[in-house]
Amino acid sequence: MCTYPHHLSQVKHTSLVGHFTYNSRIMLLPFLLRGCTAKHYVQQALSSTRLCINCCNIRGLATSSGQLFLRRTPQGFLNQSRGAKTHKRKHQNQEDDWKKRNKTVLTYIAAAGVGMIGLSYAAVPVYRLYCQASGLGGTAVAGHNTDQVETMKPVRDRIIKVTFNADTHASMQWNFRPQQSEIYLVPGETALAFYKARNPTDKPVIGISTYNVVPFEAGQYFNKIQCFCFEEQRLNPHEEVDMPVFFYIDPEFDDDPRMARVDTIILSYTFFEAKEGQQLPIPGYS
Amino acid sequence: MSTAMNFGTKTFRQRPPDKGAFPLDHFGECKSFKETYMRCLRDNHFDSSHCRVETKEYLECRMDRQLMAKEPFEKLGFKDLMEESDEENKAKL
Repeated sequence: MCTYPHHLSQVKHTSLVGHFTYNSRIMLLPFLLRGCTAKHYVQQALSSTRLCINCCNIRGLATSSGQLFLRRTPQGFLNQSRGAKTHKRKHQNQEDDWKKRNKTVLTYIAAAGVGMIGLSYAAVPVYRLYCQASGLGGTAVAGHNTDQVETMKPVRDRIIKVTFNADTHASMQWNFRPQQSEIYLVPGETALAFYKARNPTDKPVIGISTYNVVPFEAGQYFNKIQCFCFEEQRLNPHEEVDMPVFFYIDPEFDDDPRMARVDTIILSYTFFEAKEGQQLPIPGYS
Repeated sequence: MSTAMNFGTKTFRQRPPDKGAFPLDHFGECKSFKETYMRCLRDNHFDSSHCRVETKEYLECRMDRQLMAKEPFEKLGFKDLMEESDEENKAKL
């Protein structure tokens, strides 16, 4: 449906009002008014005829007389109001276009934002899997098999020296030291080592220890069957105890090319003082 | 050292012991076995392979005095020692 005549009437009214206020001080006001309205009536007539012809054209009923009529009309007459209308229409179209484009862009940005949030949540298990697969950061490549102690065979031609180190935290008053400086063993064979701890104070002291293995990559082959770490150990005043460590080195240590030049492993224990009721979390990923 | 949270630095991943922690030997019940073991180590230039019998005896002492959970020695890596003792027993009989 052609709905232009409605717009035309609106344009006519606004321009009339504009002219009225602008020329309010001029003596020729009535004459001008009449002239303006006349001009606008002519323009309206011309535009409506043009529109009817356009509508007819749309329906495929173009007549030659109509075309002749259009050609005779000077362009200047129609330029002003027609320019304003098409300009406004173009502006409207452009605005619509912009709005549509803005909407799609906003949708993309929102999707990217949601994607980022999802990625940050997914990153934790994905990174864990990646670390396990690549062994990055010394993570055990696979959970080690505790039943292998029964079936493992010692690798006789590879002798490894295990050195022992003992430390205490600065505020920890125990005397803590290893009872042997080193032990020579082979992968696949269990061995026993002793540390000694003494409480020289007059009060019972509760200690809790943690350990470290250097080089870090060898740490994944160092398996402790039983030791004294990660649990509270209480020493009464002036008491001295032997603390054993029962361990072995995984026979796969010999197969690892990264361990080919490793001959010495340093096992280091550090004792801290534990407060009443404090619990060390068991290490490793849960 | 293992708490240095730098990206890319190798850290040490601690693992808890397989069978937990030894209870403390407050009364020194197995001290003699320990001394035997330490003497053996010193005599053999700290070679652990030559002192496996003493290791087994120390662990046996602990098990007898409730300082260690009782377990068959095959599971503690002494399968070869058990087989040897079985053969000796059979030979005696």
